[in-house]
Amino acid sequence: MEITSGNGFGPYEVFLPAHSAAPKYQRHGDGEFPGRLFIVEGIDGSGKSTQLSLLHKWLESKGYGVVFSEWNSSPLVKDTTKFGKKKKMLTAATFSLIHATDFADRTEKSILPLLKAGAVVLCDRYVYTAFARDVARGMDREWVRELYGFAVKPTVAFYFRVPLETAIGRLLDGRDGFKYYEAGMDLELSDDPEESFRLFQGLILKEYEDMIPEFDLTVIDATLPIEVQQAQVRQIAKAHLDKATNVRVQQ
Amino acid sequence: MRQTYGKLLPGMRISDLSGKLIVIEGTDGVGRSTQINLLKPWLEEQGHAVLDTGMTRSPLAGEGIRRAKEGNNLGRVTQSLFYATDFVDRLENEIVPALRSGFIVLTDRYVYSLMARAFVRGMDSKWIRSIYSVALKPDAIFYLRLNIDQLVPRVVFSRGFDYWESGMDVYPGRDMYDSFCNYQTALLAEFDRLSEEYKFEVIEASADAGQVFEHLKAGIFNILEADSSKEFISTRDTKTLSISAATGKGKIAPEPQSTNPTEFELVLRSIMAHATNGNGKTALHHK
Repeated sequence: MEITSGNGFGPYEVFLPAHSAAPKYQRHGDGEFPGRLFIVEGIDGSGKSTQLSLLHKWLESKGYGVVFSEWNSSPLVKDTTKFGKKKKMLTAATFSLIHATDFADRTEKSILPLLKAGAVVLCDRYVYTAFARDVARGMDREWVRELYGFAVKPTVAFYFRVPLETAIGRLLDGRDGFKYYEAGMDLELSDDPEESFRLFQGLILKEYEDMIPEFDLTVIDATLPIEVQQAQVRQIAKAHLDKATNVRVQQ
Repeated sequence: MRQTYGKLLPGMRISDLSGKLIVIEGTDGVGRSTQINLLKPWLEEQGHAVLDTGMTRSPLAGEGIRRAKEGNNLGRVTQSLFYATDFVDRLENEIVPALRSGFIVLTDRYVYSLMARAFVRGMDSKWIRSIYSVALKPDAIFYLRLNIDQLVPRVVFSRGFDYWESGMDVYPGRDMYDSFCNYQTALLAEFDRLSEEYKFEVIEASADAGQVFEHLKAGIFNILEADSSKEFISTRDTKTLSISAATGKGKIAPEPQSTNPTEFELVLRSIMAHATNGNGKTALHHK
């Protein structure tokens, strides 16, 4: 079996049995649906969730039909993920696959149909989180990108860029410690959870940096005041919504 | 040397997998589990350690898949990936360790079933093949084949129609019978295609279970025997028992003829005598 992998989302490109009754699953490009997809990415402590929730409030106030979807939240899959994490039975590969399964369920049930229906869909973390984490865990870069080949390409992917120490400082203020997988303890980088977390986030940060040109991520300087970042985010989102003709807006 | 279909998972060593990976494939209702239930004791009787595994049996995802299927709201991409998670969990934690310990792994379905199911559901070929590029190439793939008209009575008169086996998620017909026929026909077409690509050994499953079992035994015997020059014990000449694996180098070490066989040799001979019953040949796996 020859594997020739493309990079992530492509144009429509499907090989299917001619007799199949099932409609072909297509790879979805940008701007193909009436709705708009805005996603936020960044390492833990970058402030991306805060920014997304502010964008959410603003879009609602403007009357857009807004839907929010969070990483690792599929009702069908998240119990399995939780079980695997609790028992520490996830390897790099099964960690990658179970998160892709969760993402698939959200894509099939909420993201894709709602974009077709003309909603503004907001995602806290997207495929780039998997690309960064799974590759940091040792998965093949190309394999992980192909794994998410069914994902819809976002209208805008905001990347909240922050130096490692700033992010860690923000996180340490508000919590007692790190969970096993969160700290990347499975990578056996260090026996100390805080040190392991630091090293793991460093690896993830490097992957994010490499993805900026690869996926044309929109970089927001996450060291700026919250209000300044939000103004930038809204301005960019607005530009894309003004161009959209079929986004649902309540009259 | 064992290989995967293209990619190697992180941390997976495959250079020292001395066991045998034997796949039993086929659509629903062809009698795969019946055959595995016959093969396992047959192999064990000959002194082989056997691991049997199959779809949705992983500790990680098996339960989650069962729950997800109860609701009938499992999408086709999600379904494909959930099964892939189940497969990889078993590959890493059961199949590979068992092969490393020299077991014969009998697997009830393998990636081919998963691929066929995904293709019938309209999944992208490149996508699904990339996912399963991490799978190990098996030593043999036995494909139990039945035509659709032979398949229907077996399923109907044993356990009845099942929502997923009838492909109700992709082939919603007027009733389960219509769905079942359309879905299983599409699956068979995929299997036939995969059969050529991956060189399945096709066994006509319309014969009675005893005959199918004889076919499988002969097929498995060949695989084990083919390896006897390297890692398996050769017993052609019972007077000069050579235990190749004992040297640790995979070569046959000519042993001096002993007039007083050791206790180990005696035990071994009795196992072999058992295994050679009926066919005069044997292939005892020695770890």
